[in-house]
Amino acid sequence: MPPDTPFQPPQGAARIAGEADLVARTLAGERAAFGELVERYAPQARRVARAVLGDPDEADDAAQDGFLSALVKLGQYDARRPFGPWLMRIVANAATDRRRRRQVRRVEPLDPGLVGGGPRPDAEAVRTELGERLRAALAELPPRRRTAVVLFDVEGYSHAEIAGMLGIPEGTVRSEVFHARRRLRALLADWKGA
Amino acid sequence: MNEERMFDHRPDPELGAALRRALDPPRNDQGAFVARVMARYDEALTAATVPTWEVLAGWARRGIAAALLAAVVGGFLLGRALQTPEPETFDTAMAPTSGPGVAALVTATDPPDASIVFASLVEQR
Repeated sequence: MPPDTPFQPPQGAARIAGEADLVARTLAGERAAFGELVERYAPQARRVARAVLGDPDEADDAAQDGFLSALVKLGQYDARRPFGPWLMRIVANAATDRRRRRQVRRVEPLDPGLVGGGPRPDAEAVRTELGERLRAALAELPPRRRTAVVLFDVEGYSHAEIAGMLGIPEGTVRSEVFHARRRLRALLADWKGA
Repeated sequence: MNEERMFDHRPDPELGAALRRALDPPRNDQGAFVARVMARYDEALTAATVPTWEVLAGWARRGIAAALLAAVVGGFLLGRALQTPEPETFDTAMAPTSGPGVAALVTATDPPDASIVFASLVEQR
């Protein structure tokens, strides 16, 4: 898969049915089915958590919290609806909770056996100066604003879906995306003009 | 940059791609992340079904408060029960302390003597 092409699950009814099947199998105790859901949504969950928290290690902790919280709450998922927005709401909440507790939280290091010898999660993106600038610009935005713009422009969720995830009115989502875009597009234009 | 484009209801592919590059974790550690989540699969399910000590501790405080309240109420009721005199029986109530008393009026076959009636009334006072 090319680096810029994120995972795009099948759209519409087929996607919902496929995810509902994975959820049903997970609820029946099939561990591999949950593993497939994690694999499918890991990149998205990690990006959303990173948009909220900034720090990649802390974001991975939050994304993991989100997945495990979703596993425990899986019985509450409405199988007639898409799984992504439901999961991203839990991940965004987990990241927001972690941001609130940031001052008192003790970071648990990753298990070395699981990490392996690869580069740090942000090593690839840090190589580009634009990536650094965009992350810095994102960090300056209020947390809800940067989460909204990432969910909309990166993950492709609708305003209504984001409103449901963040628990805010749809009009507020539009406004948050507008303000975030204004700041980030200005940065992007400067970069291209330089 | 015009305002209309800012309010565009469609995702901006250029901005989206740049943000994705900035936020994306490295491809070669996705497997490690998935493995890390799955390593806590059983732990998460167990924690969700077995009450933790924190939950029990939270209930313990309420339990102690309820037990103290029950002990106070129980002690109060027991104390009241011990202080209340035994109810008098019918015979005890009817028995005269001296003289013929009320029983004489109830059990006599002869018409009541005015002096007995008077004496009974005086005794009742």
